[in-house]
Amino acid sequence: MFLAYDPATNPLNNTQWAFPFFECIHIAMFAMSVGTIAMVDFRMLGIGMRHQTPAQLLKDTSLWTLAGLIVVVTSGMVIWTTDPLRYYYNWAFRYKIIALVAAIIYNYTIHRTVARSAMSATFGTALTATFSLLIWISIVFAGLFYAFT
Amino acid sequence: MSVAGDLSRAIANTDFFTALRESALVYPVVMSLHLASIAVFGGLILMTDLRILGIAMRSVSIADIVRQTLPWKRLGFVIMVTCGVLLAGAKLDTYYDNPYFQTKLILLALVAVHAIYFHGRVYGKPEELDRAPAMPPMAKTAATLSLVLWLGIMSMGRLIAYYERPGQYPHAPKSAAEAVPQK
Repeated sequence: MFLAYDPATNPLNNTQWAFPFFECIHIAMFAMSVGTIAMVDFRMLGIGMRHQTPAQLLKDTSLWTLAGLIVVVTSGMVIWTTDPLRYYYNWAFRYKIIALVAAIIYNYTIHRTVARSAMSATFGTALTATFSLLIWISIVFAGLFYAFT
Repeated sequence: MSVAGDLSRAIANTDFFTALRESALVYPVVMSLHLASIAVFGGLILMTDLRILGIAMRSVSIADIVRQTLPWKRLGFVIMVTCGVLLAGAKLDTYYDNPYFQTKLILLALVAVHAIYFHGRVYGKPEELDRAPAMPPMAKTAATLSLVLWLGIMSMGRLIAYYERPGQYPHAPKSAAEAVPQK
């Protein structure tokens, strides 16, 4: 049944507004998830939100980060069904998926642990935050580069 | 041909914008930066508005959110607009009469009006919002309008790519089913 799947029958490929609609949701929700993670990262780097501790910011943003991630991954999977093989054979998409899995695991293990215990911006804390910012931004870049490769 | 069309073509055809448009690396990098700044700094706008509406981050004061995110929003706005101007300039010949692009410009102008009108009334005095027993309707209106405007701008930006000038692709298939002949 899976092998018989024909993307040409996918509603997203047959309705003018459906594909861009999911793209807009995808963009808004990665803004929410990456934006809230960045807020914690800026604090861990000691360059923003300094009236709060990283732990407090993490606690206050975690629900929004999670909600954003769930919707961004779901809408991403919907978009992927429009042309699964083209995505599969694209290097930018492959990087994106590997980095996404790594980033989610990282966010809920190392990043969370460091954010919870960090009181001041030590080298380790700064490194954890910098890696977080870089990997999330690289995923956004890869999402776009898919269209150009 | 219209004045706007001639001007747009002249801008898009300058050496600078032609090189940008034709670069296999620089053009997608500028577009990625545009999106990455939406991710990082658009997220801050979203959370600020949700905080004012009393929906998100309620253990952080409005003053802390508004004042501490402001420099980052400004930096993000500068990066976002710079990239946006580069992207628009490179394709202005096809963008100038694109209704989504035009709507985006109108919404951006409304964001400027929003900023001018609400800065002194809401965002410039967040401490008063923290002290208020209930969120003033003015602040709720500002936050709601901000959400609507920015989500609109983001959506219009995405939709620019979906507009086809009438007759631009006379032989384009009408549907995916037509594009991929059925066995």
